[in-house]
Amino acid sequence: MSPCNDLVLSCDEIQDTKLLSLVSSVLLAQGSRGEVAAVGQRVVQGLERRLPEGQSARFLLPVLANVISLSPGSLTEEQTNVVSKKLADWLRYASIQQGMAQPSGGFFSSPRTKQPAPITEVDGAVATDFFTVLSVAQHYTQDQWLNVQAFSMLRNWLLCYGGKELDTLNPGASAGGDSSGTPLVPVPATPGRLLPPRERLRDKAFAYCQRLVEQSTRRPLKKEDGDLQKACLIEAVTIMDIICKQDSSYVCRAVSCLKILHSRICGDATYARALLPIAQLFLNHSKQAAVDSDAIYKHLFSDIPALLFHNPSLAFEFVQFCKDNSQLFTDSSSIFRQSFPNLFKFLAWNSPALISEFVDLLPFLLDPGTATEIFHLLLDLPCLTAALDIQLRAAALPVSEKAGADPAGKPATCLEAFHHPLYRSMFQYLLRSRAAPEDAPDSLVPLRQLLGSLAGSPRVVQCAETVPVLLELFFRVVAEFADGSLINQLVVLLLQRSDQLYDIPAFKEDVYRVLGSNLAMLCGLRPALVVELSTEILEFSGAVSNIQSKEAIFTHMAWAVGEFLSVSHDKRCTVEQITRFFETLEAVLFEITQLRPQASTPSCAPRAISVLMATLTKLAARSQDLIPRVSMFLSKMRTFVQSPAVTSVYCEEDLEEILIRATELMNLLKMPSVAQFVFTPPVASTRFQKEVNDSLPLALRMVTQLLEPAAGSMPV
Amino acid sequence: MVRAFVLLAPGGPAPCRVLYARTFGTPPGAGPGGPRQRLRRKEQLLVVARQVASQCQLLQASLGRPSSPQLPQLPDEPVSLQDAPGGVFQMSPGDPFPERVTVVWLSVLALAFALVCEPQENLSLAEITLRRLAPRLLLSLRLLGPGADVLLRPDAADGLLDRLLPHGQMLFLNERFLQAVDRELGLKVSR
Repeated sequence: MSPCNDLVLSCDEIQDTKLLSLVSSVLLAQGSRGEVAAVGQRVVQGLERRLPEGQSARFLLPVLANVISLSPGSLTEEQTNVVSKKLADWLRYASIQQGMAQPSGGFFSSPRTKQPAPITEVDGAVATDFFTVLSVAQHYTQDQWLNVQAFSMLRNWLLCYGGKELDTLNPGASAGGDSSGTPLVPVPATPGRLLPPRERLRDKAFAYCQRLVEQSTRRPLKKEDGDLQKACLIEAVTIMDIICKQDSSYVCRAVSCLKILHSRICGDATYARALLPIAQLFLNHSKQAAVDSDAIYKHLFSDIPALLFHNPSLAFEFVQFCKDNSQLFTDSSSIFRQSFPNLFKFLAWNSPALISEFVDLLPFLLDPGTATEIFHLLLDLPCLTAALDIQLRAAALPVSEKAGADPAGKPATCLEAFHHPLYRSMFQYLLRSRAAPEDAPDSLVPLRQLLGSLAGSPRVVQCAETVPVLLELFFRVVAEFADGSLINQLVVLLLQRSDQLYDIPAFKEDVYRVLGSNLAMLCGLRPALVVELSTEILEFSGAVSNIQSKEAIFTHMAWAVGEFLSVSHDKRCTVEQITRFFETLEAVLFEITQLRPQASTPSCAPRAISVLMATLTKLAARSQDLIPRVSMFLSKMRTFVQSPAVTSVYCEEDLEEILIRATELMNLLKMPSVAQFVFTPPVASTRFQKEVNDSLPLALRMVTQLLEPAAGSMPV
Repeated sequence: MVRAFVLLAPGGPAPCRVLYARTFGTPPGAGPGGPRQRLRRKEQLLVVARQVASQCQLLQASLGRPSSPQLPQLPDEPVSLQDAPGGVFQMSPGDPFPERVTVVWLSVLALAFALVCEPQENLSLAEITLRRLAPRLLLSLRLLGPGADVLLRPDAADGLLDRLLPHGQMLFLNERFLQAVDRELGLKVSR
């Protein structure tokens, strides 16, 4: 790729380690497996031999870490053994005395050599054990630097070369085979007998991690070291987990060490992120150690989210933990599954960052037992955000103010309402930690109204924007497993909740859109529900206000009635039922198509008018006594469309569409038997039949053209 | 390992710009080399930058802060990272990198810093690394005026990354080690 040979870089001749590191970064950027392998070979060579004076291996280790991360198979088994041995030495045997400062020279410099001081811990105490990344000194020696570098790359090294062999460059090694002589039974380290390099590294690494666990709960003198302590703790536990996976003889030691650690840190919120790798280790190995770790999981899932939902990093890591262990959620009685209300608190507070994670997680939380509760929870997610905001503010108040609410009167602010007896149980339900389908209060309407003052807060709005996505996903997943009774339940709840949504206009619009289309989907899954839930549907469809405020839901409902209310979908559908639906919908259509609309007449989308006309026609096709009524109604549509009061409300294209549709339907009704066939096709069981049904408008147009061949103004 | 470091100007009304980016090695076999590969890498980092910018703006909005923060009056005034907003998010495989990545970001004044990490990386350490890189990088930048018109010294930025994030390797440095690194670099960081 280079224009001439003189410009080709090679790392073979370079002796200076800093230069080698710089050249390697160019070589590793080429994206060539050969170059990566060559760099790897050269670096290991540099580590194997004694380096020239003044050179430090410190600059080589990161190159090695990058090489194994880019191309794990670059090193031979011999080379990995060499490196493992060195790593073990650097981890365990770094100098425990402070380094010397560079001599500063100058007139007043003291000629006598100072005694090197011992290293200290982060809390100032003199260190009594080997050097680690949490050891403090004024100046550091080269091998102490190597100790830091070695630990920094340890996890990746163990993941890559700590376990069974990958296919390395060694042609003699079979992939996954044990040709290195790895004993299947772990070899205990006896004094005087040197372990093979891999096992020795594991041993030293485990001891290092144990030491870090002890060091990480000391009180640091410098505040910033506290952050590093927690990061070290997380790394140490993760490495212990990897070691236990590679050699199960370490499990008992790990489990007992971490049990003690857990009891020490579980009450401290600043260590909360470390609880996740601890729980992961127990999940992976506690069965083998025959240890009861339920208390750990319970504390993690019941307490932590409720306390620390507002910490974005913890929220992200917690949800990742759930995704990585999604098999935990399959058992519906487990603490993991039952804690889903707590999990949603993370999403409610940190919506933009976590929405895509929750799209992956939600299917694991849904089953017939949790579906309705999660449905309510999703619709109330922005309320949850508002409630969490109030909870945080209430907790920050001084104690004296908290008791100030007057129980008899109405609370003036949301903050006062938090402790007010009228609202307290509603807040508690919304902020619950565990699934509680039976404890739902009769209505959260007062709470939603109270929280309306927070509806403009940016965090609430951001949360509201995630709800339609999750709702759509909810229905898609539920459709796969829902049985008849669950579908019926969801439809009833859907119609009920359409009145009870948090008052953010854009939010309500989007939710209605999703609910409407999924209502049609549910009716398609189970057409019989139109008959079974006729009371609820009639009540919803008969309210004229619904056609204006919830147009999407109303339109889909009316369409579903037209499609599925027939004997072919449910034998229990009687003529009386058809007539009853007809009369209800006819009254609504009559109301909205008055020739002289009054101020109180709701204006509604033209699509709703079209769908209502089509539905009435479909019903009439099935119960032919109704045909005259519909025909008369449809013939009046021409007058409606041309009336001056109406033309000012709707645009010309819409009115023309309405008229065309009315004419088509009217013509169809002139041939009742054709109408019946067109509108009540056999239940579509194959895809071809479904496609025939979908082409209904086309069929209508064809029939109309047959009847009115001379109508020249008919658009094609 | 960290796959890439990005320094960007999130913009607000203005589109976001990548001011400086560094990748640490290219996974072999990732397709044809040369200019196309470099262009693809640039595009991938721009996608990351745009996502960071939008997360940053959304977080600023939810915290109730103005989207264009004021710069300190004196260029030498120490920048406080106490309340610097930051976050973590994941990008799925294929969008834009072939494998899943986790992005850790931090926003200071009108700039944002991001580390593109491999999936199972230690995110606590990534946040610490960012909090250390940010003030030291800002020391190397000369602020020409309000907004993100910065005159970069890429050699200083490269040198800093070589010490604090060599080849994408994050380091567990306690405060004393960090002081030693600062001495080696000749930086005077206020503590």
